[in-house]
Amino acid sequence: MDAEQTLVEVRRLRAQARARAHGGAWLPAAAIAALLLASIALYRWPFGQTSSIVAEYPFWAGVADEQRSPMLSYLFWFLGTPLVVGLTAAWYRRRERVSGMRVAWPLFAAAGLGVLVLLAVLAAAPSGPQPDALSAAGPWWPGFLTPLLPVAAGVVALGVAERSRALVAAGVWIALMAVWLCQWWPLGTIPGGMLSLRPGHYLVVMALPLLVFAAVRYARGRTAGD
Amino acid sequence: MTESHPALALDDTVHQRVRLGILTVLSEAQECTFAALRDQLDLTDGNLNRHLKVLEQAELVQVTKGYEGRRPCTWLRLTRAGREALRREIAALEDLVRRHRATNPNS
Repeated sequence: MDAEQTLVEVRRLRAQARARAHGGAWLPAAAIAALLLASIALYRWPFGQTSSIVAEYPFWAGVADEQRSPMLSYLFWFLGTPLVVGLTAAWYRRRERVSGMRVAWPLFAAAGLGVLVLLAVLAAAPSGPQPDALSAAGPWWPGFLTPLLPVAAGVVALGVAERSRALVAAGVWIALMAVWLCQWWPLGTIPGGMLSLRPGHYLVVMALPLLVFAAVRYARGRTAGD
Repeated sequence: MTESHPALALDDTVHQRVRLGILTVLSEAQECTFAALRDQLDLTDGNLNRHLKVLEQAELVQVTKGYEGRRPCTWLRLTRAGREALRREIAALEDLVRRHRATNPNS
């Protein structure tokens, strides 16, 4: 039947065009996952249990736990995030030249860097005394002042640009975990108790969907000869 | 009230084989170069140009001429109307297939 053959051909062509246009999504996903995992080094006790923790606000390392140095954390995210965006831009420009197909990657750059600038502006706002983020009666917003949220926004935007629901879900996952880990003290508080995990564990769990996505996409691209 | 035959929903501008291919490839990227589209559909420059003119006149495809380094380069983009036309065409084709299967279960 003609309509059936046409549909088969359209689907084949669509799959081929999709692989060609979106076959490069694995690299930004892997780079963002690497950034998240590298941030584990910013914590004083990333995996080890300790009897007391001093978590300085704002949580420049990412989640509410003791950092080695707030300045080091600040520099890590405010240099590392633009570096990943720059690497991603170079990667997509190269792919454009080779494949002749353009992905809306500026959306990723705008979201990631835009939210990062917004974070810097909000953190610098003269808001009076520092909020007591560690008390249940504290304000509702400290959990939103974390450099993990620009990363989450970037991943969601990357998912939109790459038309990948998996990437959008990975971005939402990072955002939800970041807000949970910064908003409720101590780290890992859940209704009726708390998880005995440390920042390093949480960051691995946060980066896991991105790592799986990158590995699957890379393997698929290799199989298809991309 | 009688239901109209799905074949009536097919759009002559979009249904043509090469033009359907052009819209399908363009639907997967933000923009695509003329050369990449030509290679992907295995067409000649003249043939692709002819079909692009039809799609551009129907405002289904937007053509932008520019430079990639020093080389001239033509970028093609599916318009919102183009995306909608492709969606309708695929839906009409799927309707046709469903109808055919319902009336000819052994085919």
